[in-house]
Amino acid sequence: MRPRWLKVFSDLTDNWLRTALVVFSIAVGVISIGVISGAYVIISNDMSASYAANHPMNVELRLSTQFDKNLVDTIRNMRGVAQSEGRNIFAIRARVAGTTQWTSLDLVGIENFKKVQINLLKPISGQSSADKKQLLLEKKAFTTLNAPVGSTLEFELSDGTIKTLPVVGIVQDQTTGAGDFLAPPFAYISTDTLTYLGQKDGFNRLYATLSAGNNDEEQLRQMAANIKDKVEKSNLIVSRSRISKTNEHPMASTVQAILGILLALGILILFLSSSLIANTLNALLNQHLRYIGVMKLIGGRQNQIIAMYITLILAFGVIALLISVPVGGQGAYALAAFIADKLNFGLLGFRIVPLAFIIQIVIGMAVPLLAGLVPVLNGSRITVLRAISGETARESGSGPAADLRRETAWERFSTGLAHELSHRGFHIPRPLLISLRNTFRRRGRLMLTLFTLTMGGAIFIAVFNVRVTLFDYIDAIGRYFQADVTVTFDRPYRLEKVNLSGMKYPGVTQVEGWAFADAAVLFPDKTVADNLVIMAPPVDSKLVEPILTAGRWLQAGDEKAITVSESILDAFPALQPGQILRLKINGKEDDWKVVGIFKFVGQQGTIAYGTYGYISRYTNLVDQSISYRVVSSGGHDAASQQKLAEGLDKYFRDQGFHVTEARSGKSTLATASESLDILVTFLLVMAMLTASVGSMGLAGTMGMNVLERTREIGIMRSIGAVDLEIMRTVIVEGVVIGLISWFLGMLLSFPFTYLLSTIVNLAVFNSPVDVHFTWVGYLIWLAVVLVLSALASVLPARNAASLTIREVLAYE
Amino acid sequence: MSIPAPLYSGSSAGTAQPVPSAVMPLTPMIDIRGVVKIFKNAAGEFKVLKGLDLTIERGQFVSIVGKSGSGKSTLLNMITGIDHPTHGQVIVNGTDLYAGKNESSRSLWRGRNLGIVFQFFQLLPMLSLLENVMLPMDYARMYDFDERPKRAMQLLTLVGLEHQARKLPLAVSTGQQQLAAIARALSTDPPLLVADEPTGNLDSHSSDHIIELFDQLVREGKTVVMVTHDPSLTARTNRNIIISDGELISEAVAVALPLLHHREMLAVTKQAKSLKISPAQIILQRDVHVESFFIIARGVVEVILQGKNEEDVIVSRLNPGQYFGEVELLVGGMSIASVRAAADTAVELLALQRDDFHKLLKESPITEEALGRIARQRLQENKSINRQGLPQAGLGKNNNASSLA
Amino acid sequence: MISTPNSVSSNIPSLPIVELRDVVKIYKSDAGEFTALRGINAQIFPCEFLGVIGKSGAGKSTFLNMITGVDTLTQGDVLVRTEGKEVSIHQLSENDLASWRGRNLGVVFQSFQLLPMLTLLQNVILPIDLCGKYSPRASRARAMELLDLVEIADHANKLPAYISGGQQQRVAIARALANDPPILVADEPTGSLDSVTADHIFDVFEHLVERGKTIIMVTHDTGLQPRFSRHLLIADGEIVIPPDSTGAVSAPAAQAR
Repeated sequence: MRPRWLKVFSDLTDNWLRTALVVFSIAVGVISIGVISGAYVIISNDMSASYAANHPMNVELRLSTQFDKNLVDTIRNMRGVAQSEGRNIFAIRARVAGTTQWTSLDLVGIENFKKVQINLLKPISGQSSADKKQLLLEKKAFTTLNAPVGSTLEFELSDGTIKTLPVVGIVQDQTTGAGDFLAPPFAYISTDTLTYLGQKDGFNRLYATLSAGNNDEEQLRQMAANIKDKVEKSNLIVSRSRISKTNEHPMASTVQAILGILLALGILILFLSSSLIANTLNALLNQHLRYIGVMKLIGGRQNQIIAMYITLILAFGVIALLISVPVGGQGAYALAAFIADKLNFGLLGFRIVPLAFIIQIVIGMAVPLLAGLVPVLNGSRITVLRAISGETARESGSGPAADLRRETAWERFSTGLAHELSHRGFHIPRPLLISLRNTFRRRGRLMLTLFTLTMGGAIFIAVFNVRVTLFDYIDAIGRYFQADVTVTFDRPYRLEKVNLSGMKYPGVTQVEGWAFADAAVLFPDKTVADNLVIMAPPVDSKLVEPILTAGRWLQAGDEKAITVSESILDAFPALQPGQILRLKINGKEDDWKVVGIFKFVGQQGTIAYGTYGYISRYTNLVDQSISYRVVSSGGHDAASQQKLAEGLDKYFRDQGFHVTEARSGKSTLATASESLDILVTFLLVMAMLTASVGSMGLAGTMGMNVLERTREIGIMRSIGAVDLEIMRTVIVEGVVIGLISWFLGMLLSFPFTYLLSTIVNLAVFNSPVDVHFTWVGYLIWLAVVLVLSALASVLPARNAASLTIREVLAYE
Repeated sequence: MSIPAPLYSGSSAGTAQPVPSAVMPLTPMIDIRGVVKIFKNAAGEFKVLKGLDLTIERGQFVSIVGKSGSGKSTLLNMITGIDHPTHGQVIVNGTDLYAGKNESSRSLWRGRNLGIVFQFFQLLPMLSLLENVMLPMDYARMYDFDERPKRAMQLLTLVGLEHQARKLPLAVSTGQQQLAAIARALSTDPPLLVADEPTGNLDSHSSDHIIELFDQLVREGKTVVMVTHDPSLTARTNRNIIISDGELISEAVAVALPLLHHREMLAVTKQAKSLKISPAQIILQRDVHVESFFIIARGVVEVILQGKNEEDVIVSRLNPGQYFGEVELLVGGMSIASVRAAADTAVELLALQRDDFHKLLKESPITEEALGRIARQRLQENKSINRQGLPQAGLGKNNNASSLA
Repeated sequence: MISTPNSVSSNIPSLPIVELRDVVKIYKSDAGEFTALRGINAQIFPCEFLGVIGKSGAGKSTFLNMITGVDTLTQGDVLVRTEGKEVSIHQLSENDLASWRGRNLGVVFQSFQLLPMLTLLQNVILPIDLCGKYSPRASRARAMELLDLVEIADHANKLPAYISGGQQQRVAIARALANDPPILVADEPTGSLDSVTADHIFDVFEHLVERGKTIIMVTHDTGLQPRFSRHLLIADGEIVIPPDSTGAVSAPAAQAR
């Protein structure tokens, strides 16, 4: 090899720590971009592809009355309908035989597993169809219950009897629950088994796919209205209708929004790592100035030298790519698989995403080149004289010919300040002064280090704030669920009766019956704009504490009046309190007045509140209700509520009531919290990544500082500094940098928090949310940054202390 | 320039004071015994110091001279505890530096016991002059915290930098930097000051100033050891130690034959036989063959001629660094006078054999010339004494060889 | 191996190989101006071994920097006549100067300045590589010969850290000769060496002068004076005419050697 390339090669291998630092900095950025962009591509493709592959329904109608096969056939014969199927879906409690913990399941009754054309089931293990008195579990139910093929499940019917079914197979259903974070786990039975479980025969859910235009929202809506009309003409009551495109997973946009946030953070990490690279390369070039001078002196031209160092940088990039391309590829697939698992869709298999591959290569080469260009150009421009005479070391005060120099304004300020303080009796010990002044000596390097560390810190803190904001919001949503337990019966009972009975249960202080109604919100053209669940507590109920954004809450005497959750604005962006919505309830169309708009979790669909007095009359259930809210004087935490729910469940059954479900107030939110936790974990991982890039930057900076100041360390040694003093001088400098970055990060965390929580909330809840702050993130980050900066300086500090004076004061 | 007394006799409020230098214990300041330093690297071993013995008494101004590569910096590093010897012992200010001490504890010892002045000043660039001077007190934890600035200011005033105290080193001239470095070296009031080419980078005016300061400090009781290659500085010290190729040159040889190259001086040091003479013992009779050139290393010898009545008359007293026997070796003939040790001192002589002497003169014509001049002069005087009788005073005052005393 | 500079000495025999004309160098800093060279006139002839002697700060290093072109001059001109043409080196651009220097001027420092990551052989090949004057195969052979010339061939594949200072300096000389420049410039080349090693370096220099190189060496050690074929004393930025060698400054007295 020619000597100059040999030199490049040895620069690469000579100082493996530096090479590792640069390679790692490049790799971190490349990997994070590679993983996220790869996952983005895989998910946006596979999520919808695998969804479409399972023939999702385009129109779903929930009926409050049973229907038979004839209706399914009628719908199938409609123009524009490709397929239609009926299902019988009902909620039931189940547990693995021999255990005590009940789990709510949605059982799906399918007439003929062999002939399923819509919402296909993908076999995973065991049988893929269930005969009479057999059960198939959906993957999620399988993991929740931990019931393998061959085990037996017990079901509790509303009359309290227990029936058992064997699990004969595990399947994956990517379509039925898609789009609902809060959907319970599914299990499948043949319709033959319905009576065994105390259910009526027939169907309560109608699915249809369209023969054309199944990705066009306008056509979907029109067809849904047509089908609904047809169904209602058969005197059946449609409680809910939903449309869904074939080629787009209902959660696709949410997932992409979240990946978008992660991508933004990835790009930030790339930025930070590039400033780290710039710092390291700057130091490298600084150390090499003398060599550059020698090479120039013996005939090297500037472009030859630039070529050598550019080659070195490209070599760094290539090594980083060798690591980061495979890791990025695997990571992208792993991330996609994780999300796929959580959202219950399948991936099409591992593959290299060409786009992500190209992006990685481009940034793996371009980022170090860009970061290194300035140092290389500056370094190659050095004059031989400066390089040889060691004038570069002059900055640190040595050099035989040190010319007289004026103090800079900063130097005058900093020495003046110390003298002024000292004058007033506030003496800063000189060793501390050295650390403080050293901090600000390499201003450019300090800036880059602070930039990375501050960014990392700001994101870290912001993630904590976003987390609190999200959970506070979930908590705020909890104010709509103030009751400790919601008891649902399978038939209406008189308020008086339930009240009397319920109040006898130990600790129960209040039993409140609510009225309910399902409503379709109609556009003027009669198509369905949105579905509403109208809940109707007594007008003076204390169990709802709404967060109103406009208008007022319900008052006594309100008739045909509702308050409605914010998500209605998707369909009616200009809706104002006082305006009218046309609602269809139980087949009856009427104009309802919106008196107020309130905030609520968007994913559950739109909800509305009415007054018990009016709605109970409207639904012909005066003084009756199927759903009761119970408040206890006992604890309101999740565990006490769960206990109360179980107790009430048994109590009411013992009293002869037909209980469908007794659900604790907090459990409603638990599922939502869980999925948010995943998101927060992702954000935290990104925050940790930025923090680690930041601390690597700090470690690099401290290492370079110590390297450049070995002579000064020798001086300190020669005038009496012990090991501890030397180490303290270095570590304090690191900690000072850490503290500065913490302070800046703290300031920066405010805009970051607003930005991040707005994006996240828009993605998750479809609405911006009030931002909350927590001291936890600030404190943790303070601790982390102190520990990191101390750790980052310990190694350089130990090196500094281990230098012998003779080495560093090598007589000139 | 006067030095404020409290700076050196130890301030009353001070904590952890070293032994005030005014009280001089009997031990020497520096005692180097059989020090060997071998540098090893992949290329092999280099013996930089080849078994040195050296004692430096307290209160002296000593210069160490040597060409580059002679080992003088290494010798200095042995004294300051910066480097450690391969063999041998270094005792400075009563402390055996390399017995059971690690680098860190030597640092602390150094901070309290000696001040170092470097050729390139080595002030910390981020601290003002005042802060630089305070730093050793911080490290050594000497003097009350509030007293340190006052003491530092006094020291800066001593070196004439009171108006530059707040400036950073880069903003003052190199001479001023060196003065500040000296103030820093004095900050913990150490009894010993070690300076490595302290004027090597200064103009002559600044150099003078610094040497004056050293003089002053020595008068106040400090010991100053200075490495230099500037002959104008060595002339101003009490004692001049020359090192060449890792060995010390006999100080007597250096004084006696200053025009030799260091390598030749070292050769003479090694070739010459050391003779111990008791007080009043005759060294050389008159009119005998002289086979050696004698250099006085220690003690005083008397040159004696017979007076008219055959009585012994002392015509000259020769001190260390002076020599005799050159006349006979250069001119030939029998010895022109007899020589004996003075009655009150034991004498140590370095005797160089005739052949070695002539070989040496062949290598160094200027030395031959110088010796020849002295020889002719002495011969002349001798003749005139023989002719005119003995003068009352000795010949010594005409002898232009300097002495070590 | 080392080409004899006949082209210079026979074609234009009376012309100096290096000529400084009224060279003035003033350094400016915040503190004011400092004149390092005050109108230097000097002529250096082929095959001279010229010593430039002065104390530190006298301007001798600046003098050398004017000849190598690593520092700019404030006034005057430096002419170098090699390769049969005359070059005013301070008129060249930085890049042209670098490649001109690579071919015409070898530089040796007090501190050797070998690249620590390259073997001795690679260090010597480097200038050839950068200059592109010889093919890779030829340059390797040439570098080996040069190392042989300075008696380091046995260590060719060692790194600089593994040989002594004197050996490093000899490698530095071999490197300076890599592109067969007619002029060798040395700044205190023996300053870091003990006296025996320093002697070896002088032997090498004398050998090179015999083979037709022109060597300009700067030192502060007046004791070395007898070893030069001619010397200039420099003090306070001016050439001091030694009392015992009248006219030595401009006369090609050294030709006799």
